[in-house]
Amino acid sequence: MKKAKMSVAAKKEERWAWLFVAPTMLGLIILNFYPIVSTIYQSFCKTGDFGKGNIFIGLKNYQAVLVDPEVWQSFWNTIKYAIIEVPFGIAIALVLAVLLNKKMIGRSLYRTIFFVPMVCAPAAVAMVWRWMYNTQFGLLNNVFHTKIAWISDPKIAWISVGVIGVWSIIGYNMVLFIGGLQDIPGDFYEAARIDGASELRQFWSITIPLLSPTTFFIVQTRIIGALTVFDLMFMVMDKTNVALKNVQSAVYLFYQYAFTNGNKGYGATIVVVLLIFIMILTFILQRVEKKWVYHN
Amino acid sequence: MRKTGFLSAALAACLAAGFTMSASAYDVDKITVNIWDNNQLAGLQQIADEWTEQSGVKVQIDVVDWDNYWTLLESGASGGTLPDVFWMHSNVVQMYMENDMLLNLDEYIEKDDKIDMANYYEGVTDLFTRDDNGSIYGLPKDHDTIALLYNKALFDKYGVDYPTDDWSWEDVLDAATKITEGGKDDGVYGYAINTSNNQDGWYNLIYGYGGNVVSEDHKSSSIGSDEAKAGMEMMRKILEVSAPQMTVAETGTDALFTSGLAAMITQGSWMINTFYKAENHDDYAWAMIPYSDANGNGACDEGERVSCYNGLGWSAKADPEDPQACYDLISWFCQEEQQKEQAKLGVTMGGMKGISEDFASAFEGMDVSAFTKVEEAGSLFFRPYTRNTPVWEDALQQDGAFLNAWQDPSDPELMAQACDNAQTIIENAIAAE
Repeated sequence: MKKAKMSVAAKKEERWAWLFVAPTMLGLIILNFYPIVSTIYQSFCKTGDFGKGNIFIGLKNYQAVLVDPEVWQSFWNTIKYAIIEVPFGIAIALVLAVLLNKKMIGRSLYRTIFFVPMVCAPAAVAMVWRWMYNTQFGLLNNVFHTKIAWISDPKIAWISVGVIGVWSIIGYNMVLFIGGLQDIPGDFYEAARIDGASELRQFWSITIPLLSPTTFFIVQTRIIGALTVFDLMFMVMDKTNVALKNVQSAVYLFYQYAFTNGNKGYGATIVVVLLIFIMILTFILQRVEKKWVYHN
Repeated sequence: MRKTGFLSAALAACLAAGFTMSASAYDVDKITVNIWDNNQLAGLQQIADEWTEQSGVKVQIDVVDWDNYWTLLESGASGGTLPDVFWMHSNVVQMYMENDMLLNLDEYIEKDDKIDMANYYEGVTDLFTRDDNGSIYGLPKDHDTIALLYNKALFDKYGVDYPTDDWSWEDVLDAATKITEGGKDDGVYGYAINTSNNQDGWYNLIYGYGGNVVSEDHKSSSIGSDEAKAGMEMMRKILEVSAPQMTVAETGTDALFTSGLAAMITQGSWMINTFYKAENHDDYAWAMIPYSDANGNGACDEGERVSCYNGLGWSAKADPEDPQACYDLISWFCQEEQQKEQAKLGVTMGGMKGISEDFASAFEGMDVSAFTKVEEAGSLFFRPYTRNTPVWEDALQQDGAFLNAWQDPSDPELMAQACDNAQTIIENAIAAE
């Protein structure tokens, strides 16, 4: 097929189009695409100091990473974190969104309160939680008169960290859900009420299906977000915390290797493996989307 | 009207800039400096401002906390955006020198009659001397030592005599045992130390009992030797009556101490300000670091009282706009007069030898002479380092090394095992450098 010749006006328009997308494209290329390519390249290298003198070693880093129990443990830790953060962060946010979508006094105040964790600096949030969890002097143990090592007992530390993740993300998910709820036409609920459907029935038969595009978007972005978690573990767990091994995420381990130990090649390999894992997961999710998401 | 107003303002600004530039002997009107310790900012800025007065070059000092400092410096080194002048540390300095990231100071030092390298602590000077060409890449800024910090109020409360400069680690053990026993119901511990208190803690026991962490040539370790194990065995006994590892990891030894829940900790001279400014600072006092009675004769013999020491260096980036200006600032910081001022202001003890006596009295109401006295009464050993120190230094503090022994100090086997593991970790790390 022969390409249709563009008119002068269309050409002019195209130039403008390029001009408008140029800043975004430049940003993406410099801040995203180039680092991705560079990271992948480094994962095949024994990296030198300060990015100089990289020696190509093929798949040796991958061979080392894939048999390193510490790496597997960190991947498992990351998945455990995601298992807490994603479902709970979404379920609680959905319930809150439905409640706060109703007309009530002080609605915007409540919405603001739930959104506040999102506005706080993650480091500050982590520091406050760290002290609340403190075994000897923490608020939690003092209020409940317990002696639980929330963040030092390897059996429960991962849950404690997951709870902070849920608490931090609820507000953001909630705002997205409220946006989705407001797109659902009121007629449907009216018709359902006339037919005598209960509130709960309306929720399951109207809200959930019509909200599914929003839900899917949140699920997908949160899974990616949870699998790349770093700051929570970094801020809450001391380097000498005995539970660190059972909580440190894949990105935490990457940070340790790439920036503390100065072994960029090994660090790069860890994140490339993580990237491949996330890509596979996203691919599966996209397939599932066609089945589960209801498009109006 | 508005336009001309703007123009004339711009013109005036240009002229003003032109005048200040021509008044100075240097090509730049500002030097950027990075450090990591906020406690030192005020004092160093004061010293730097005095240099600005005569040179006309402004000095802008920015503080970046320890962890981020090295991330920032490394990306700066990789991307060519290092600050003009900055602190260098034993952990990584060899790597920076070998990659030509730092300004070679040889020719400047030669022309500078105020700097004679023989006047500085050898360990610090060695640190900033490159192995392969013998050139100097940093001037010694300071040095630090370790002392024992104790809370008099807690010693009074549980009826234990205050630590003295004649104490051995056995005496520390006795006192810690009594206080921990007496303070059981109050949650008070006699002693607190974490695996991360190495330079300011257990390294000193290893060297005191005749072992080492890294050998003098930085190529091997004897941390698995009988001597080192004897030191760590002493440590283990103290750990049995100290705050549990979980507590020190979650709360921190400093916070435990300042909350009145730990009676003794060891600390480095760079931390004095934290305790000097603390709420109950009247209760706090320093004693010389205890000696290791390795031969068991009950007296402090030659080599039994040791303190780890470390020194920072002032370095400049390899290609600053005006290397002479950067060097002159570095030289200013390290000349005798300014080194004395640094000590007097209580910033740190000097990198120059014999000028730090003023430091002992820099903190009104708090006697910190324990840090200066140890240099006469004991011997100093330089903080162990290799080409890429963090690799093994972090691993030693964690699971698989000393963390296991700290978790259960009642078992001597665990501590001996940790020493052996540490030996392997350090050897592997050195082999990979």
